Amino acid sequence: MADEMDEIINEFVTEAEETLERIDPLFIELETKGYNKDLLNEIFRGMHTLKGAAGFLGFQPIVDVAHRSESIMKKVRDGEIQMTTPLMDVILKSVDALRLLISHIRVKDGVEEDVSALLKEQDSALENATTGQAAEKEKIAEAALAAEVKEDASKEAAIEKPAPVEPKVEAAESEKTHAPEHAAAQQKPHVQTITPPADDTAQQASKEKDVVANLRVDVSRIDKVMDLAGEIVLARNRLLNIASRLDVVHSGDPLVENLSETTAFLDRVTSDLQLAVMKMRMQPIQKVFGKFPRMVRDLARNLGKDIDLEIFGEDTEVDKSVIENIGDPLVHIIRNSIDHGLEFSDERVAKGKPPKGRIVISAFQKGTLIVIEVVDDGKGIDLEVVKRKAINRGLITEEESLKMSEDAIVNLIFLPGFSTKEVSTELSGRGVGMDVVKTNVAKLNGYVEVITKKDVGSTFRISLPLTLAILQAMMIKVGKEVYAVPQSMVEETIRIKKEEIKDIAGQKVLTIRDRVLPMYDMATVLGVKNVVDEGRDFTYILVMVVGDRRFCISVDELIGQEEVVIKTINGIDSDECGILGATITGDGTVVLIIDLAVMARGLFAGSSK
Amino acid sequence: MFDLKLKVLVVDDFPTMRRIVKNLLKQLGFENIDEAEDGNMALNKMKSGNYGLVVSDWNMSNMEGIELLRSVRADDTLKETPFLMVTAEAEKEKVIEAIKAGVDNYIVKPFTAEILKEKLEKIADKRPSLKAGG
Repeated sequence: MADEMDEIINEFVTEAEETLERIDPLFIELETKGYNKDLLNEIFRGMHTLKGAAGFLGFQPIVDVAHRSESIMKKVRDGEIQMTTPLMDVILKSVDALRLLISHIRVKDGVEEDVSALLKEQDSALENATTGQAAEKEKIAEAALAAEVKEDASKEAAIEKPAPVEPKVEAAESEKTHAPEHAAAQQKPHVQTITPPADDTAQQASKEKDVVANLRVDVSRIDKVMDLAGEIVLARNRLLNIASRLDVVHSGDPLVENLSETTAFLDRVTSDLQLAVMKMRMQPIQKVFGKFPRMVRDLARNLGKDIDLEIFGEDTEVDKSVIENIGDPLVHIIRNSIDHGLEFSDERVAKGKPPKGRIVISAFQKGTLIVIEVVDDGKGIDLEVVKRKAINRGLITEEESLKMSEDAIVNLIFLPGFSTKEVSTELSGRGVGMDVVKTNVAKLNGYVEVITKKDVGSTFRISLPLTLAILQAMMIKVGKEVYAVPQSMVEETIRIKKEEIKDIAGQKVLTIRDRVLPMYDMATVLGVKNVVDEGRDFTYILVMVVGDRRFCISVDELIGQEEVVIKTINGIDSDECGILGATITGDGTVVLIIDLAVMARGLFAGSSK
Repeated sequence: MFDLKLKVLVVDDFPTMRRIVKNLLKQLGFENIDEAEDGNMALNKMKSGNYGLVVSDWNMSNMEGIELLRSVRADDTLKETPFLMVTAEAEKEKVIEAIKAGVDNYIVKPFTAEILKEKLEKIADKRPSLKAGG
């Protein structure tokens, strides 16, 4: 009974948030495009819907704020008033207020925001926008309409004058406690819902076919399916392994041939299943990108910079966990670009650049990776400044700075506690720096690259695996144990003669195609005993790329590539121990997956001291 | 009382609103309630099913309530279907448009089961099909 009400409220919160998320970017579009009836209509409708449902549920502050926003949008839509920047500011403020009000309902903290100041602001903004004459006209029109309604109402006996809305709201409010008692309880998951990614296209299709093609499913159910699919993948890997071994021993046996055929079929179906389940968790990155136009606008306005924002590939689909975790890093990067990267108009003109700064955010799939780029045409990252700063902060020594490559210097900005501006502005100086970018991206098994050129601009490129559950892994053997490392970070594997390894100032190095790369021994890193015959004159090398650091790792044996399902190990902190998780291989052994990002951090932290 | 076996179609593009209206109808005793998320879908459903009452929102992204009403009234087999329009305060001035288009009655959001009942009773006075045994 009370549950029914809870469910309705939860549903309302989810939908209201979606509505706001949908209309938020439209404001910015409106501001850039100017008057556009479709956009205005869409925003008006969103506010209107929100107000309607909130009214039923007795959320009066939402009704009040939405009502006034709706009135403003309506007047703009109908051409009665012009959309001005102050008016837009008030509307955007209202959207923020609505979001806040809704979030209070979501967490049920019982906090009642005082919206009276905002309501006054809305009213005065509307008043200022409406010239006296227009108001006068409107009054006359309203009076005429009212008269007409009355006249008609008397003709049509069935229609009576609408009752004032005030008492009804109260009625709805008191009903809140009683109403659900009569209603049949409907079971609906309400913890967390995800909208199927093909929302738009599905809606298109439903227009034609008139079928409800969308289904809201509890995320935990999808994750359960995902988990089970993972188990099937593991079983399939084992089956494939057994079948191929049988095939070696009993080749030509029709039964074994049958088995091979069946496992081959199972192999295909399992891959399809895995992909299908994976897709269920995918959502367009629009969900994240959607808030950027507004953010960029606000930042630009606050700083007095003129900025053009372009967004591409917002329909690129990424895993739900990416949607949840990539927002913060991107916000930091974009803030950084606007705050530190883009110059003021006069400075730009002096450099012969267009006065308006440009930021391009894009997402696309590249093989099994999702690439997200933030490109600005600002002044680029000044390596000298970065170097100085890092030395001043004690992050590196003067001596080290001389040996560092440009790449390494750029990467200093990701160190905790680094900020290139003397005085951090309100935007960038919030206690969290670019190190958040690296940490969050690493959590998603991805990496960040920075490409920067003086006065041309900077590119921040984030590369992420398509899914977090399955990993293309390189299986290696160190000591007696087999380990897996993410294939995406292995650039190449080679066999070298031990004599090729050189020693420079205590650091082992290897020259590969004229490039000198630091080399580490995996057995030493992992602290396991090397059991390979010391007399062997060769060793295997993995050339690793983590972020834009390149280094070599020597291992005892290379086993090969395998698609592994990551199982998290309860009770360990991957960030601490450098173990991403475990997996079960085709032959049934449990194999640890090494978190190379953590490992590399450890290696380079050690080497810089 | 109304014929509670009648099939009712609730049309609104906001799922929460559909659910609220459905709940209110259930409180009045209606059991057979169907939903549509816009005018187009409603029209298609009406053409293939026998609906005894339509409760439609005005403001919808895909075919507004008023258009749905006009289409219903223009269709020979559907034109006698009782039609209750759900409107918001802001649309009061447009109600006249709905009256001209042949709406049976309208109801302003937010409303209670009581008010809904009153409205339906008014419709039932004119449309016997809505009454129990009528």
